[in-house]
Amino acid sequence: MKKLFGNSALLCVLAIFLKPALNGAPAGEAAKNDVLIAAMQQELHRAQGDLGKLDPAPYFISYSVYDQDSAMVVGSQGSLINSIHARRRSADVIVRVGTAALDNTHEENRGSALTSGSLPLGDDSDAIAHVLWQLTYGEYRKASQAYLNVKTTTQVHAQEEDTSPDFSQETPQSHADYEDLSPQPDRHILEEIARRYSAYFRKYSYIYSSNVVLAAQTMRSRFVSTEGSHVVSTGAWVRLAIEAETRADDGMELMRVETFQAENPSHLPAEAEITARMEKMASDLKALRAAPVAEPFDGPALLSGRAAAVFFHEVLGHRLEGHRQRGEQEGQTFTKKVNQQVLPEFLSVTDDPTARTLNGVDLGGWYEYDEEGMPAVRVEVIKDGILKSFLMSRMPIKDFDKSNGHGRAQAGLMVTGRQGNLIVTSSHTTKDSELRQKLIDEIKKQGKPYGLYFEDIQGGFTLTQRAMPQSFQILPVLVWRVYPDGRPDELVRGVDIVGTPLAAMNRIVLTGEKVEVFNGMCGAESGSVPVSAAAPAMLFSEIEVQKRAHSLNRPPILPPPGFDATETKAGGRP
Amino acid sequence: MTTIQRSDGRPRPSARMQKLASVPALLIALLFASICVQAKDTQTSADDDPVLQAMRAELERSKSALKLEGMAAPYYIDYHVTDMDTHAAEAAFGALRTNVRLRFRFLRVVVRVGDYKQDSFFGQGQGGLDFMPLDNDLVALRHEIWLATDSAYKAATEALTAKQARLKQFTVDQPVDDFARAEPVVSIGPAAKLDFDSHPWLKMLQDSSALYKTDAQIESFDSALNFAAVTRYFVSSEGAVVRSGQNVYDLRIAGTTQASDGMRLDRSHGYAVTDIKELPSEEKLLADATKLLATLEQLRDAPIADEEYRGPVLFSADAASTVFSDLVGENVLGLKPDLGQPARTKGAFATSYKSRVLPDFLSVVDDPTLASMNGRSLMGKYDVDDEGVKAVSVSVIENGKLVNYLMGREPIRDFPASNGHGRARLPQNNPGPSLGNMIVRSSETSSPEALKKKLIEICQQRELPYGYYVETLGPQRVPRLIYKVWAKDGHEELVRGAIFGDLDTRTLRNDLIAVGNDVNVENHPLNIPHSVINPSILFDELEVKRANANKDKLPDYPAPAVASK
Repeated sequence: MKKLFGNSALLCVLAIFLKPALNGAPAGEAAKNDVLIAAMQQELHRAQGDLGKLDPAPYFISYSVYDQDSAMVVGSQGSLINSIHARRRSADVIVRVGTAALDNTHEENRGSALTSGSLPLGDDSDAIAHVLWQLTYGEYRKASQAYLNVKTTTQVHAQEEDTSPDFSQETPQSHADYEDLSPQPDRHILEEIARRYSAYFRKYSYIYSSNVVLAAQTMRSRFVSTEGSHVVSTGAWVRLAIEAETRADDGMELMRVETFQAENPSHLPAEAEITARMEKMASDLKALRAAPVAEPFDGPALLSGRAAAVFFHEVLGHRLEGHRQRGEQEGQTFTKKVNQQVLPEFLSVTDDPTARTLNGVDLGGWYEYDEEGMPAVRVEVIKDGILKSFLMSRMPIKDFDKSNGHGRAQAGLMVTGRQGNLIVTSSHTTKDSELRQKLIDEIKKQGKPYGLYFEDIQGGFTLTQRAMPQSFQILPVLVWRVYPDGRPDELVRGVDIVGTPLAAMNRIVLTGEKVEVFNGMCGAESGSVPVSAAAPAMLFSEIEVQKRAHSLNRPPILPPPGFDATETKAGGRP
Repeated sequence: MTTIQRSDGRPRPSARMQKLASVPALLIALLFASICVQAKDTQTSADDDPVLQAMRAELERSKSALKLEGMAAPYYIDYHVTDMDTHAAEAAFGALRTNVRLRFRFLRVVVRVGDYKQDSFFGQGQGGLDFMPLDNDLVALRHEIWLATDSAYKAATEALTAKQARLKQFTVDQPVDDFARAEPVVSIGPAAKLDFDSHPWLKMLQDSSALYKTDAQIESFDSALNFAAVTRYFVSSEGAVVRSGQNVYDLRIAGTTQASDGMRLDRSHGYAVTDIKELPSEEKLLADATKLLATLEQLRDAPIADEEYRGPVLFSADAASTVFSDLVGENVLGLKPDLGQPARTKGAFATSYKSRVLPDFLSVVDDPTLASMNGRSLMGKYDVDDEGVKAVSVSVIENGKLVNYLMGREPIRDFPASNGHGRARLPQNNPGPSLGNMIVRSSETSSPEALKKKLIEICQQRELPYGYYVETLGPQRVPRLIYKVWAKDGHEELVRGAIFGDLDTRTLRNDLIAVGNDVNVENHPLNIPHSVINPSILFDELEVKRANANKDKLPDYPAPAVASK
């Protein structure tokens, strides 16, 4: 299962709170003084020379070092719950043994190519070299052992359907981005913001549980390989996530989440906008508690742009990841559909990690180089409904033998093809203000009693393995029944959107004009990576929803402290 | 494969933990990172401590009104808050790799439904763990306790039914109460503070781990510190109100190398104390690190132990500490067996009550009330245990005979009451019977020199060319430093790759023949801080074999040359 969720951690702070930027040396000077990359290159060279004499010899070694400065602050009910600040420096050592045609990463052995560990935080090149040496000879053993198994397995098993090599041939890259990292926001300021925002929910007796999570990360990554690549790149993000939860009388847990993500704190919304969103969260939750439970339904539906974006990320995006076309366990929904119609012809999809903003919103899936040191590339995956390409790491698949800069992973995990910024565009649009009427027209045409409008979702997941049904589930949080007879829309609760990808995507009839962005963290085999999905609102002729499983626990027996009429002691609400 | 975060039927007690577990893995890793340290107030009474105030206010409210219609109200509620302020740092090869300060508070709520005879303490009814606000803000503190209490009560109600249904599957001959009554204790001790200048300590870590440069065959050499101030708060519906603080300072160095045949050789040395002043000076630490490196070098060159040996073995008090900790300490705990099982306790002494478990010249007492011994602070010191029961000294083995168990508030057959040994594992788990300060004493002792002489005499009597002397043991009682003591002239020869064949509770009872007049004090900071105090011991006969350990390959290429010496 893969997931995208918007309700995870991270941080907001206004630019005026920032510490003054550190005065950094000019880029050229910084590169010259980079003790770490010098130590990496020296150890890489030594490993290549010494291990190269052994049998089996590595044909590729790379070192990736991630220097991360992270903060996470959690507040609830006006108090801090956690405040964590960490500097970490970790190294991923990759060793490939054999040949590019067949190496130790083959099929199930992918993990054998990577060993990670913590590196010294400072510039002690002796210590850095020693740790890299430890990691490298350990990794070489793992890789060479796996390679022997791979050779035997390929002899024993029947020939695989896709006989592509295990590693693509690429041009070595050279890039040195020594720009100053944006400074980490002052932690005490973050703590004050977490306290202030989280105190906002104190006045609502029905919001039982709430959190404000602020997180910030700056990272410089260094990549060197025996192919001669040398890539230094930087990245930063901040996120603010606000969660509030209540419970209906039947025990159903109802949650609202708002997340704000940007490259730096000054790009986050102002406090007035955030508090307005929190007020809407509170009123949504109140309405949801009173809302009827929705019934299973199959009929016309309208997805807001954000909902449609998550829908495409889950239902389509994950199935376009290159490695899924090759794995013998994978469902391979689209593997043999290249140059065939997979979407209505008015829809096109690109994954463009080089896009930094869209409609003024920072895109979470922006990067310049992927984790294999390949430059990010805009990929037109679907053009006018026809499948053109996949999201490729350096693992080739049939007819696609090169990376297109989508090899992504979190530190410590082996790269796979992943989404960056998945952007859906449409040539068959109508004004967003007219979409509701189009939905009503569709309801009438089908003779249904009502249709559904999905205003917001909290995330979703999809199954791509062969052993499981090729289904997806999207978890909406705000769902409205829209009636054709002029009655007002009715909020309902407790449904999930379900379906299978090929059927569902061909039910799209029409889209709105305005493209909306959903920023989130996406989890899959290669870990958690920041992504964006963007899409216009979409009208579906048919969407299926099922009842959501929920807790049967009653709401809390006693009122929250301070709301108890019989109470006179300390701890009353402000 | 991952799962999506969503609302479902999971129990609430750890809701906040689950929430945090759902944030990206990267951030979870940061839980081992630093946090700002807030100046903590020093309160002297329960009334001006906001944490205790919040705990008591919610306890009162829950006692008077927490009840589901048609279901039983709780008969017992307790709240346990653990406030931890920690500093962890590690240096490898002379350079700092980790340096994090972290503070957090945990809340554990136990609500019991039923009665002392049979209650809901089962499965989810045992309570869960939540993060507790760090600020001393009454609304926020009470809000968290309120939520946790509500879910603990609901979980308890369901757990009681589940437990009763389960018990119907068994015939229970001698029913034992589920929960022991205890006199409520009110004891407000000072909160613990972590107040030290980290710089000299970080320098010590770097300087000591930099000594790897003196030996090109060292594969890893690390120094680490874990300093913590832990304050525990406890209130119960029976009336207990407890606040207690403890500091733990743990410093250790560890190194590994390989012999030329590939045998992996490990050495480590730790210092665990409750007063920072007892930690070694930089000179002492460097001297100890140098010595540790020297023993690694000696081990590399040492011959491998013979395949067969059966004869006398002398354990230093340090090595004997591991023996007593593993073979006695773990077995004198009055742990209630799993539901439906008829045994008295879990562990090797389950059927040994009133039987001989040690030679008759040995006795064992666990005394948590002792703060120090021979000038060393004892980590197992506490006044009130984590179930609100006053700590008392308990004599568990008298003249070799097992006469008592260390008890928490979960009774076992014939032991209906707690003796103040119910302690929670850090960061915070269910309290259960645990060691405090375990003291092994002998009615007959000899000097260590006399013990060595005796070892040689036995060898000579049995025409054995040598006996063994064990200086220190590693995990699983594997010797780290073990010497042949040659009968002909008494000289000691270090060997490697030896393990014991039959070092168990039976040989400890039957083959331990003499005890030294020396004393080793070993503080154990992990999980539940405790101490073990014991003399050196001589076994008449033990089997020592050659370890059947893998001999790893040596590194495939040499370590990088050191540029700066």
